[in-house]
Amino acid sequence: MKRTSLLKRLFILGCGKGRHQLLRTSLFCIFLSLLAGAILLLLLGKNPLEAYTSILQGAGILPKSRYAGRKSQLTDFMSLLNYTTPMVFAALSVAVALKCGIFNICVSGIMVFSGFMATVLVGYSNLDPFLAKILVVLIGALSGALIGILIGYLKHRFNMNEVVVAIMLNYIISYVVSFFIQTRFIDPITRQSVAVGQNARLTLFDHPVGNLKMEIALVFPLALLAVFAIKFMLDRTRFGFELKAVGSNSKASKYAGIHVGKAVVFTMLISGSLAGLAGVSYYLGSNASIQPRVLPSLGFDAIAVALLGNTTPIGSFFASLLVMVFDCGTTYMSSRMQVLREIAALITSILLLFSAIGIFFRNLADRFEQEAEEV
Amino acid sequence: MENLVEFRHITKRFPGIVANDDISLSVRKGEILAILGENGAGKSTLMSMLFGMYSPDEGEIFVRGKQEEISSPLVANSLNIGMVHQHFMLVENQTITENIIMGIEPKKRKFGLFPVVDLEASHKKVHQLSLHYQLEVNPRDKIEDVPVSTRQRVEILKMLYRNAEILIFDEPTAVLTPQEIESLLQTIKALRDGGKTIILITHKLDEIKRIADRCAILCKGKLVDVLDVATTSVQHMSALMVGRDVSLTLEKEEYERGAEVLRVDKLRVVSPDHICLVDSVSFSVHEGEILAIAGVSGNGQVEIADAIAGLIPIKSGKIMLSGTDITNVSVRKRIEAGMSYIPEDRHAVGLILDFPLRENLCLKRYYRPPYSNERGILQNEAMAELGRSLIEEFDIRTSKGNDTLVRSMSGGNQQKAIIAREINLDSKLIIFVQPTRGLDVGAIESIHLRINKLRSEGKAILLISLELDEIMQLADTILVMYNGKVQTIKKANELTKLQVGEYMMGVHVEKN
Repeated sequence: MKRTSLLKRLFILGCGKGRHQLLRTSLFCIFLSLLAGAILLLLLGKNPLEAYTSILQGAGILPKSRYAGRKSQLTDFMSLLNYTTPMVFAALSVAVALKCGIFNICVSGIMVFSGFMATVLVGYSNLDPFLAKILVVLIGALSGALIGILIGYLKHRFNMNEVVVAIMLNYIISYVVSFFIQTRFIDPITRQSVAVGQNARLTLFDHPVGNLKMEIALVFPLALLAVFAIKFMLDRTRFGFELKAVGSNSKASKYAGIHVGKAVVFTMLISGSLAGLAGVSYYLGSNASIQPRVLPSLGFDAIAVALLGNTTPIGSFFASLLVMVFDCGTTYMSSRMQVLREIAALITSILLLFSAIGIFFRNLADRFEQEAEEV
Repeated sequence: MENLVEFRHITKRFPGIVANDDISLSVRKGEILAILGENGAGKSTLMSMLFGMYSPDEGEIFVRGKQEEISSPLVANSLNIGMVHQHFMLVENQTITENIIMGIEPKKRKFGLFPVVDLEASHKKVHQLSLHYQLEVNPRDKIEDVPVSTRQRVEILKMLYRNAEILIFDEPTAVLTPQEIESLLQTIKALRDGGKTIILITHKLDEIKRIADRCAILCKGKLVDVLDVATTSVQHMSALMVGRDVSLTLEKEEYERGAEVLRVDKLRVVSPDHICLVDSVSFSVHEGEILAIAGVSGNGQVEIADAIAGLIPIKSGKIMLSGTDITNVSVRKRIEAGMSYIPEDRHAVGLILDFPLRENLCLKRYYRPPYSNERGILQNEAMAELGRSLIEEFDIRTSKGNDTLVRSMSGGNQQKAIIAREINLDSKLIIFVQPTRGLDVGAIESIHLRINKLRSEGKAILLISLELDEIMQLADTILVMYNGKVQTIKKANELTKLQVGEYMMGVHVEKN
């Protein structure tokens, strides 16, 4: 009896009503997933504290005891940023759409599409690196926007459910793109598309800085910029107001004279181009080729990440960073602690799982709070 | 007489407000006790505590002489207490029977093995129950297919099915038409005569006068008095309720017809499944005129308003506002052409509940200077300024002013917010649909005064209401709708309330 009431009190403290309820809930979710991960590690006979430390070391947050030549904590951290960049774009894409009441699960499909378009149009050319990189970014955003507009238009014009449309588009894009890759652009050894040229890649690999060699994600500043631009748009602009109004109550928005269809299509344009940027920073950044018939799981993880960030731009950014810390750090942890990579990946999955059920936790806490008041 | 329920020194506080302040009240077995009070007087809170939705901060509740901790509606059910909420709690796509038995489904074993819900027996039981209490329903109908009055009957049957002896009705007549109200009142009386104890939360004085035995009056969370209805005048009750005298009739200036503002010509509206909702309706509204559309709920009145506002497509016809054709222009252009619209459904249409009050008050102006600049950036200070002035002018009561989430405000204050926003647009035409629905006498009076004031300012007013008294009190011209058609359109002084009622029921058919 005493124990359960303690648990409930913990819940109320974590996700109950009051100041910063949303932030506290997210932190509580993270805490719970760390706890669950710790139990898992204990069952395997590993020291969870040591494991978590090594995750942070692997991601470049804490210094490792030893580094290979021309590597340091900074190189680890830069590679973390490199992997985080597409996730930030993808999570923003989901968050913007959700603010307008649209569930965009087409992020993965859009990523493949924009990645493919940029690969084919610029990736194999001999353009000047500066020009090529700018073109890749533009093509990524544009092709993403196209798919976004398509989804928004179908939803608005024919009242089609965006989830169904997105699932179908995911399949269509995945198969059409892999058809072209396998007939035209296949690398017979890797069974993936032929790697794009260094001139078109948005990440500089093994770039010498001082006596170090590091990965530099050139579009990471763009991702940061996007975070603040989206925040500004949602909080301060006329269009952001309309977008949120439509997401909150589309009938009332129509009554107030807001063009609901236009808001939906524009929102999907923004969400789509963000997903497109995620695509090019993934396929022409942290990777260099496209694996046929595989949708990047990053596009789906982004949904949970956006929810963990309470669908706010700033929240999505930090949630992306956190999830990618786990993602990047687990490689080092598995080698250092002799934990299977699958187990290490499981900890990331647990984090994503707990982050997606934050709303449930909040309701649970509200209920416990009511019960507590009544006793 | 035996006291069935007793409240002793009940106090309930919410953040920033004392909803119930040291209330002691007893309910006698077999009576109809009316709880009267303005919006926010604490009626619903008090009854919610009896039904187990809130717990009192101080004080005790005694049921049948025993102190009870009513911690949830389930406990209330086990004490034979039932409640019909103002907003129905029904599952739309299930049948009436399924809704009634939900939670306490009778089970049987098919082939002696698999437990299933015994629907057949339930249908029968619901049918018997509905016959016994003369609450006609077809147990197999789905909730989404039946009208509001039937849904209410389902709610009542739900309580009776659970053997409730104390029945709480929370403003049951707010959503009903005059005829439906009549039959509901008869039902409530019959339930009382059948031995049930009834608590009726309301602010309609005539209903109390007609059926209640006693009346408890709440004002600002305090119990003012408990009166014997038979020996108390309506005026006295309403004075106690609002804490001041209310003039129940309105002083009105003579109507001077000004220029034509709105002209609707042969308007036809067809529903998505091709049913004709509005059938070649024509009328016009002039400056300084209140044109009221009367009719039983669902006879096409609301569709006329929605069509004028551009919210639903029209089949044919023409709509002119101040001489310009607005038949095919966007909602925003219509608003800019000089149209304000107070919609019927405040929650679903009139407000964005999760937006703060400031943004709701600015909902139709946010895109124009000074509320946003030419580059599309919102000017929060200007918005806040507008919010503050409207809150002040229209006496909108909130806990956090401009930043209050509209969802957390009371119904009366939500309506005030909508009216404030619409009047502030300074339009030539103002459409009111059911402006006083679910509001208390004080709020109704202030809205009526405001409509009247707008009229003397020379606004053209289209009023759509189910309350006949409201129409008779305010209208210069009355249009009666029946089955989507205009029954009659006459000067208000040429019609009596009785005649309007007859037109509403389709008794006379005017040829025009």
